[in-house]
Amino acid sequence: MRILGLSLGFLFLASFLPAYRATAQATPDSAASVTPQTSPASQIQATAQESSNSKKEKDDSSDGGHKLHLRLGGISLGAGYAHFSGPAFYPYGPYDFYPFGWDYSAFWYPWGPYPFFAPSYFAYGSAKGEVRLTAEPKTAEVYLDQAYAGTADKLKDIWLEPGAYDLSVAASGHQAYHRRIYVLSGKSLKINATLLAEVKPGETKDKP
Amino acid sequence: MNWKLCVAVILATATFLMADGPKGTEPRQAATGYPAHTEINGVAVGASLLTADQARRHFVSDVNRCCLVVEVAFYPAKDKPLNVSLNDFVLRVKDSDIAAKPSSAKVIAASLQKKARSDRDVTVYPSYGVTYQSGRTYDPVTGTTQGSGVTQTTGVMVGVGNSGPNPASTDKDRSAMEAELSEKGLPEGIASAPVAGYVYFPISSKKKNAVHQLEYKLGEEKVVLALP
Repeated sequence: MRILGLSLGFLFLASFLPAYRATAQATPDSAASVTPQTSPASQIQATAQESSNSKKEKDDSSDGGHKLHLRLGGISLGAGYAHFSGPAFYPYGPYDFYPFGWDYSAFWYPWGPYPFFAPSYFAYGSAKGEVRLTAEPKTAEVYLDQAYAGTADKLKDIWLEPGAYDLSVAASGHQAYHRRIYVLSGKSLKINATLLAEVKPGETKDKP
Repeated sequence: MNWKLCVAVILATATFLMADGPKGTEPRQAATGYPAHTEINGVAVGASLLTADQARRHFVSDVNRCCLVVEVAFYPAKDKPLNVSLNDFVLRVKDSDIAAKPSSAKVIAASLQKKARSDRDVTVYPSYGVTYQSGRTYDPVTGTTQGSGVTQTTGVMVGVGNSGPNPASTDKDRSAMEAELSEKGLPEGIASAPVAGYVYFPISSKKKNAVHQLEYKLGEEKVVLALP
């Protein structure tokens, strides 16, 4: 399954900025025209009046001079790609019809060819059944529905959901042990897998 | 149709048939390897009635609760394939009217699940009490006074029910039991090589010394095997 995505986005920032009212509208000329015709006292009055006028103008500008500005704040551009070819999620492939269900219970081991089980998968559960496994050699590898489960010495008690499983125990130099097992909730199944030593061609068991 | 879809359908069908079809058991060397055996028209038939202990060892499902299990093997004649059908079997209890045809794995599994579900634990709690009383007490009912002494009480409490689900009673268990019974069952259809497998008869024989006989319709002939 491949997903290719492309996204493009714009970010607008809206801000209210105080507008600059043209100072020409405040008529500074009117104050200048008054000044020569007035006495120093009235000059002081006029100056005071001017200052109060300019203050008033400032107040006016802050009251009624808002404008709405839209500013381009940023552009984002992204691309994505996803690829997954696992058996559990591949909708139309033949793996979906695999009957024994490892693709539902096991995970793909990412660095190797075998799927494996999560450590908590074999933990006790009230709706599970117990498989008591004894194997010789103890370091033999245990596979459940072709998925690697661990070594026999660490899998003495396996708790599994009710169902049918293919159990395999294998060790190098030994003949593999295969058995179809059926697990029922609340029941215990005892399995003793003693692997026989592999006989190489031309080699006889009875050596002097 | 898309070729990929075709391949997928073929693979799925093949896998389904391989997975769910009965595989049976490994036939013994010859029909004579079975306690009851005979040969008719070149076809050798062997049968063995599983004891309760054998059934317990061969099956995880508790088949003893619902039925009798017979292992049957057919050895067809050379170049003469045989059509094996469960409908041709009948198991009779000798000297009685009890007879049964085989049940399918699905029916047996459902029956076992139902029985497991209906099981209820009954727990009995006996109780015993000893009381010592000192001083005198007045009994207003009888108007008498009672002195000090020892009183003993006994009782039984009965608890009915389960703390959790019964073993092998869930739907997943039924599917697992069905898979087991089906995969170990006698394969039906045309057989050109020896085939063997279990046949399940819904008879719960309570008589210890009951003698069973297996009947099989082999073409025009009727094979009768007394099962020891």
